[in-house]
Amino acid sequence: MELDPIQMDALAEFGNIGAAHAATTLSQMLMCPIEMTVPEVQAVDIAQLHNHISNEISAVVVFQIQGEVADGGYVVVSMPRETVIQLTNQMLGTTDTDREINEMDQSAAIEIGNIMISAFLDATAELLGIVMLPSPPALAIDMAHAAFESVIAQMAGDVNDVLIFNTELTSLAPPVYGGIYLLPNAELMRQLFHMLERLMEPLP
Amino acid sequence: MGTIGLGSCIALILHDQRKSLAGFAHIMLPESRGNTDRPGKFADTALSVLLEEMERFGSAKFSITAIVVGGASMFEYSANSLNIGERNAAAVKDLLNVQGIRIKHEETGGKVGRSVYYWPEKKGRLIIKRADGTCIAL
Repeated sequence: MELDPIQMDALAEFGNIGAAHAATTLSQMLMCPIEMTVPEVQAVDIAQLHNHISNEISAVVVFQIQGEVADGGYVVVSMPRETVIQLTNQMLGTTDTDREINEMDQSAAIEIGNIMISAFLDATAELLGIVMLPSPPALAIDMAHAAFESVIAQMAGDVNDVLIFNTELTSLAPPVYGGIYLLPNAELMRQLFHMLERLMEPLP
Repeated sequence: MGTIGLGSCIALILHDQRKSLAGFAHIMLPESRGNTDRPGKFADTALSVLLEEMERFGSAKFSITAIVVGGASMFEYSANSLNIGERNAAAVKDLLNVQGIRIKHEETGGKVGRSVYYWPEKKGRLIIKRADGTCIAL
């Protein structure tokens, strides 16, 4: 998918609004400030995915975008293992950081992802004036690249590149680090640009 | 040759021991449905292009063996199409069967991601690193 700079900008701004809401919910849950990086939008060739997604063991929570845009693409929250353990500890008041991922961590990762992404889609959908809902979450605790690849395989049947919107969220205390990824498909992009054009029209 | 972070995708390696020649494809989806611009992406086109290339280098089909790795189901709590790994693995194995190519080593399915490396010299050397930290070398 070829995007001109204005379209890239539109997608970045669109994702930025969603990510800011998601960051706010995370900040509220952890009761600490969360920093957010300037979002990036890239059209990534599927053969080059390994240059964009690390292979670190992470919790990857995947949501399909549903609602008025049936199958609008995917939103993904990816957190390294240490962050998941940190988040569970923070919320349960436990302190053991040197342990394997357990069922409680998996459940926490899904729940945190769910809250963040619901906020993300709520904010972006409002902007578009449509209803967007996350599908029930799917979780993989594995090499991040392997999980992303499985998601992208669903989108890349007819195309060789996918648009990836990415922003990183960090906090120093507790040490938390995570990424939000939006992988819009063609239909969602069409709606987005349509909305943008409407905004740019001069008032009557 | 190698590929990192293999999830539902398949690493298909064709190896001709007599020529110390091997081909490697990273397959994402089972069927090309007429797409030809990226043959490596689909099981059917990847196999035929690899075979063609290897025959061009003088390999004969009967001396080629295959290694099939990958096709994991990555996601828990998901009944939907994200778990395409099984279909990928089945498609690749069917196609190899049709072509009469023997599978020398197979590691498909399961829930873990894998990284695969291959060196084609002589009998070939294969290393599979799994996401759970285990590792095998053949």
